[in-house]
Amino acid sequence: MTRFVKSPKDVASGLLLILLAAFFAWQALDLPMGRAIRMGPGYFPMILAGLLGFLGLLVLIGGLTVPAAEEDAGIGFRRWPWQALGLVTLAVVVFGLGIRPLGLGPSMGLAVFLSALASRRFNIVTGLASAAIMVAFSWAVFIKGLGLPLPLLGPLLGGY
Amino acid sequence: MEIFDNLALGFSVAVTFQNIFYCFIGVLLGTLIGVLPGLGPVPTIAMLLPITFGLPPVSALIMLAGIYYGAQYGGSTTAILINLPGESSSVVTAIDGYQMARKGRAGAALATAAIGSFFAGSVATFLLAVFAPPLADLALKFGPPEYFALMVLGLVASVALAAGSVIKALAMVVLGILLGLSGQDVYTGTPRFTFDMLELADGIEFVALAMGVFGIGEIVRNLEDEHSRKVMVQKVKGLLLSKEDIRRIVGPILRGTFIGSFLGILPGGGAILSSFAAYSIEKKISRHPEEFGKGAIEAVAAPESANNAGAQTSFIPMLTLGIPSNPVMALMIGALIIQGIVPGPNVVNEQPSLFWGIIASMWIGNLMLVVLNLPLIGMWVRLLTVPYHILFPLIVGFCCIGVYSVNNNALDVFTMALFGVVGYVLVKLDCEPAPLLLGFIIGPMLEEYLRRAMLISRGDPTVFFTRPISATMLALAVLALAVVLLPSVRRRREEAFKE
Amino acid sequence: MKSFKGAAVALAALALAVVPFAGARAQDYPNRPITMVVPFAAGGPTDTVARLVAESMSRTLGQQVIVENVGGAGGTRGAGQVAKATPDGYTVLLHHIGQATSATLYRKLPYNVLTDFETVGLVTDVPMTMIGKSTLEPKTAAELIAYVKDKKDAVIYGNAGVGSASHLCGMLFMSALGTQVTTVPYQGTGPAMNDLVGGQIDLMCDQTTNTTGQIKAGKVKAFAVTTKDRVKSLPDLPTFQEVGLPGFEVAVWHGMYAPKGTPKAEIDKLNAALKAALQDPKVIARFADLGTEPVSQERATPQVHKEFLAAEVAKWKPVIEQAGVFAD
Repeated sequence: MTRFVKSPKDVASGLLLILLAAFFAWQALDLPMGRAIRMGPGYFPMILAGLLGFLGLLVLIGGLTVPAAEEDAGIGFRRWPWQALGLVTLAVVVFGLGIRPLGLGPSMGLAVFLSALASRRFNIVTGLASAAIMVAFSWAVFIKGLGLPLPLLGPLLGGY
Repeated sequence: MEIFDNLALGFSVAVTFQNIFYCFIGVLLGTLIGVLPGLGPVPTIAMLLPITFGLPPVSALIMLAGIYYGAQYGGSTTAILINLPGESSSVVTAIDGYQMARKGRAGAALATAAIGSFFAGSVATFLLAVFAPPLADLALKFGPPEYFALMVLGLVASVALAAGSVIKALAMVVLGILLGLSGQDVYTGTPRFTFDMLELADGIEFVALAMGVFGIGEIVRNLEDEHSRKVMVQKVKGLLLSKEDIRRIVGPILRGTFIGSFLGILPGGGAILSSFAAYSIEKKISRHPEEFGKGAIEAVAAPESANNAGAQTSFIPMLTLGIPSNPVMALMIGALIIQGIVPGPNVVNEQPSLFWGIIASMWIGNLMLVVLNLPLIGMWVRLLTVPYHILFPLIVGFCCIGVYSVNNNALDVFTMALFGVVGYVLVKLDCEPAPLLLGFIIGPMLEEYLRRAMLISRGDPTVFFTRPISATMLALAVLALAVVLLPSVRRRREEAFKE
Repeated sequence: MKSFKGAAVALAALALAVVPFAGARAQDYPNRPITMVVPFAAGGPTDTVARLVAESMSRTLGQQVIVENVGGAGGTRGAGQVAKATPDGYTVLLHHIGQATSATLYRKLPYNVLTDFETVGLVTDVPMTMIGKSTLEPKTAAELIAYVKDKKDAVIYGNAGVGSASHLCGMLFMSALGTQVTTVPYQGTGPAMNDLVGGQIDLMCDQTTNTTGQIKAGKVKAFAVTTKDRVKSLPDLPTFQEVGLPGFEVAVWHGMYAPKGTPKAEIDKLNAALKAALQDPKVIARFADLGTEPVSQERATPQVHKEFLAAEVAKWKPVIEQAGVFAD
């Protein structure tokens, strides 16, 4: 492993950048290119995708040749806080799904409670209290104070 | 001395009980919504427009203007405290401001922001009073080729935003531009990278991207080592600036004010560049550039001054030409129309009390901001002593409603979730997200101006080199790129040799 | 005011939560705030029209009419949202001429402009003006027409983006003259006006709302108005019909819509409030500042609006198809 991969971070970044470049190029294939005088919508994206791929290649080569600094701890997948990453993301997604049908109150409460779960120091009382406080606060500030056109309870819960 | 007569007229309008009151309401509301992540001045002003129906035009405009620069100010508070830049202008402040906060110097960072903003606001207001009409004419000299050159210069300079690898920073800029191109092509209406979603027709929302990459990504990073070390705050050091701090921020504030005042005048996106430009310049001329990105006080002072100066001078095209330079200015024009004033170059002559009253109120508003915010710093800093496991779910909640309220669009919330993950992965791979955001902001403008310049010149690329302003800026960009790339190439070779 | 509204919203929400299936009966309508969707950003001319009308309608209906800006995709995102909204009279759309042109401009529209909405009534027709940079050679509309026919694509015409009113006006101008100019799109009127005043582009056609101030200050040259009759605020400008372009007529007309299936009783109440707003002296005065006036009471009816919409869809279809420009 160490014989080829000198800096795992750079190799991973390089591969990721090349992958993204390929994705954007593939998406831009359908767009008309045009010419330099009258550039089509695909002209600029295609050039940029090429540039991104090239830069990705440079990073990749660097990762294979130049060793990482000593203090560099590597990517450390095993130390990633998978649970926190998942829960915080889930909390945001749940808010997005709930905001129209359920209204601001329930979706805000759920989002705050779910993200509170992401902490290892979670306890149910503070979790529920935080959720309640945020619901009350967002009602007071966003609906009452700023007059956002958002119902506290959505159509699914009998609001509008 | 016509200018003194004008200013006297302005102050006689602005210093009435009623107008001071509305100015205060404006900056207070502005600060509050600025502090709330996501919710920016545009929706707030839009919501308050109906209230202004009943006010005299001067009071209405004074209040709306107060909301605008108050929000610019408040935005930096959240950027510094919890790494949540709600607006493009506070992205730069977040870089070093948040690092200062982590080191227990949130108070100093906030005080620097307040003082820098006040100084810059005062100078810019003065410029506005003295030079508004000639400056507006200067702005008109900027055609598509000049703006293109300006954007190129801005992008090259943005590489300085990254503390690590130059190649990776360049790659992040390019990735940002590609993300920024999503949405309907301005020239043909063709949707790009929208995956057939109508909600993406206007592209990825900046606030969703910025709060995902910076805010949510940072929360996950903090949760990572919840056990291993104490999250967030080291012991909060003194709230006030030391003598050494003051010595270090004088220069950056002056330079930031100058850069911001100039760029703010350019309606085609100049104000957005101001904080980035100020940061890059400070890093280039600093004697200790290695501190940048790790909590350098100059890196808070300069961009904050630039951004506030730019916010003030961006009123110049609106007030003197009737041309809005950003969505907030478009709203101001809407407010003028509702008030029965036809915006245009004649406003200065036909409505002198309106024009000068607004200018005078801006200075008063800036003074109020500083008086209002310096005492608040203690409170904000104490907020950081709330245990992180209680604080962060609330931040997530604010991010959600903030992002949603920008367009009332649930897709923006999902976008934020996605970019939260992306932001975390990028940081883990040592790819810094700040250049990505700059690419995202400037990229679409870069393409727009390039294509427009080529259309107008009928396909003649020499237009970029035959026009003096554009040629000068492109030459500067090449020079800057050389300066940035050379040391890195050398370093790489040295490292390779060591092998 | 604000807090009262907030309290009202909360009370309404609570009341409805307790009695989920009570449903609003027509005689109670409206018993909670009505959302008026404007499919454009706040602060634009359409938004201004909507806010003026909404404010007056709130007074008539005794309930707040809240303007919600749902911008994006040339107005089709907001329109689509209203098309899919519950047809209970609590969601309405205020849209301009783009409602008719989007039927052709967007080939993959997720709703049908003609069948997915109830028309409530027309609101106003905002005239447009053809303006040029101050150094442009021709001085009159007739000279302009000769100049454009002569120079063809050497003339640079700026517009505010695909599907915008200025884009439509440009297409109609080119088809009336039978020639092609170089079209440069911008993101909205502001930047286009900036480049016109700065002399970077030659011509533009936009709503009087945006152009009157510049014309009166002499920063741009005005050639003609695009309406059938001259405009009160700019009495010296001839119409294009006067100078030899018969049938050249384009105005940014605004209309109010409700989702398909909204009960007739609700539509009638909305229409009555709209009609009252159009006679409100305050609305009339503000419209005059915009260089426009409310439509006549006879035109502010669902029936006339419906027929007009169908006619406009038919009018723009060939113009857009001939230009070959689509927004998707």
